[in-house]
Amino acid sequence: MKHKRWSRAIAYLAITVSALVMLVPFAATLMNSLKTYKEYTAVPPKWIPASLQWSNYAKVLELGHFGQYTFNSFFVALLSVAGAVISCSMVGYAFARLRFPFKNALFVMVLGTMMIPPVVIIIPHFIIFNKLHLLDTLTPLWVIEWLAQPFGIFLMRQAFMNIPKEYEESAKMEGCNPFQVYVRIFMPMVKPTVATLVIFTFMGKWNEILAPVIYLTSNEKFTLPIGILSLGGQWVGNEQLMVAAALISLLPILALFLFAEKYFVQNHANSGIK
Amino acid sequence: MEQTIERTGRAENGVRPVPKRRRDSSESRWGLIMVSPYLIHFVVFVAGPLAASLYFGFSDYDMLNPPKWTGLDNFARMGSDPLFWKALRNTLLFTVLFVPLQTLLALLLAVALNQKLRGLKWFRMAHFIPVISSWTVILYVADAIFNPRFGAANALLTRLGLDAQRWLQDEKLAIPLLVVIAVWKGIGYIMVIYLAGLQSVPGDLYEAAEIDGAGAYRKFRSITLPMISPTTFLVVVMSTITTFQAFEQIYVLTGRGDMSQAGGPNNSTMVLMLDLYREGFTYLRMGYASAIAWVLFMILFALTMLQLRVQKKWVHYE
Repeated sequence: MKHKRWSRAIAYLAITVSALVMLVPFAATLMNSLKTYKEYTAVPPKWIPASLQWSNYAKVLELGHFGQYTFNSFFVALLSVAGAVISCSMVGYAFARLRFPFKNALFVMVLGTMMIPPVVIIIPHFIIFNKLHLLDTLTPLWVIEWLAQPFGIFLMRQAFMNIPKEYEESAKMEGCNPFQVYVRIFMPMVKPTVATLVIFTFMGKWNEILAPVIYLTSNEKFTLPIGILSLGGQWVGNEQLMVAAALISLLPILALFLFAEKYFVQNHANSGIK
Repeated sequence: MEQTIERTGRAENGVRPVPKRRRDSSESRWGLIMVSPYLIHFVVFVAGPLAASLYFGFSDYDMLNPPKWTGLDNFARMGSDPLFWKALRNTLLFTVLFVPLQTLLALLLAVALNQKLRGLKWFRMAHFIPVISSWTVILYVADAIFNPRFGAANALLTRLGLDAQRWLQDEKLAIPLLVVIAVWKGIGYIMVIYLAGLQSVPGDLYEAAEIDGAGAYRKFRSITLPMISPTTFLVVVMSTITTFQAFEQIYVLTGRGDMSQAGGPNNSTMVLMLDLYREGFTYLRMGYASAIAWVLFMILFALTMLQLRVQKKWVHYE
């Protein structure tokens, strides 16, 4: 018994140290965002500024295209979420509940697509969007989400497969076609999985850097992660503002996380069980 | 056509048509309609691009003129391009350092957290905050600690009477530090996957071991490790695939938004994805960049096959 108490004590110690290693750098960053430029670049660094410069945050919102970047990020993330929910649930439903020709072959294609590293198809994607005159627009960042990504299909299919058969039988008796059964009966039953898909897609798009770097060239088209980086050139001598800008860009995700933590964790945990 | 048959059927029998048959044809139609977004996706954004990319790999293509078939030229050029070899070496080094370190630390954390500690949720949340942050956020967090001028790490070293370091601007330190930062950012994610895996290890195994007098290390070594090995396998394969294609973290942490600086100093953090990006999107050598993509894919494929083969030796399935 004594032995067990020791191992718990060690576990507490390890996990507390680890949690501090995670959080202290964020606390230091928060402090940096509240310094004057002089304090921010002081050697040796001072942890806590003489007075907290909350006005840094107000300045970020006024300067440069920060508002525009925020709008662009929300635009891309929300359109992607809508597309992913609609397309992945529809395709996932068909794979889970309907019988149609070539179903198995098609599903093997979905699984196959999951294995292909994105790196081999990014150049042709760029060429496609160039041909469509969609470079330097936000369209390439969200449009593909409306065509059902394999991971989302897989997630939704699993959820639909867990629903007992009786539900669709009774709906069919009442003369609903498969699409109506999907919209009216099945969609409301998989809300937790939809929440997982929403969060997964939103976070992925909000934090994405590679695609915006590839597709966007005009500053006013930038999304937050690359927009903030681009402020470096304009804000020389004001770098503490970039720290504030970065932390503002974390806020929506952080709020979503604090509000719906279990869906973040659930999704990642599920990917382990598969 | 279908409808005519059904209608005649109804007329002849004088009863409703056999419901099963009718349902099936309409079900097929609906199935194909509902799956069509993915069909378009596959044809336009997967199969077509794969074929095109393969063709470009053997061509000279600058997007302005049509691609010109050049056979193995791109691959020959890659072989004699020192930057490619450096990028390949760095990619392998990064993966070899990162994957085992992150996997091991995440497992240890998960084991510690799995002891039914109070406040589990809060600890888990603390480890997830770096996971949900973009690399741009991480850049400024890393700056607070590792900025060569005013970061906390150098302040600490100076106070201890040691030499200040140039961290990411130091050719020797850059990759190890990138690994440390990446482990720090990603560990919460892997930890949560492990937590889910650990919860499925039956508790009576541990009780039986305790009766036999097994200590904490013995239980970890003989029960936890083998029982959790399918999760470990999955984590290792997954992390290898993503790490091999690492772009964002290196672009942001070494380039700070400037592509010409990314991969520095002196190409010491140049990885395959950055090399590919620069060849393709900066110099518009789309053919050469596609060839790099295929080589990257092939190495990754070989690595995954190797892992699949080796797993038989160490992964225990129920």
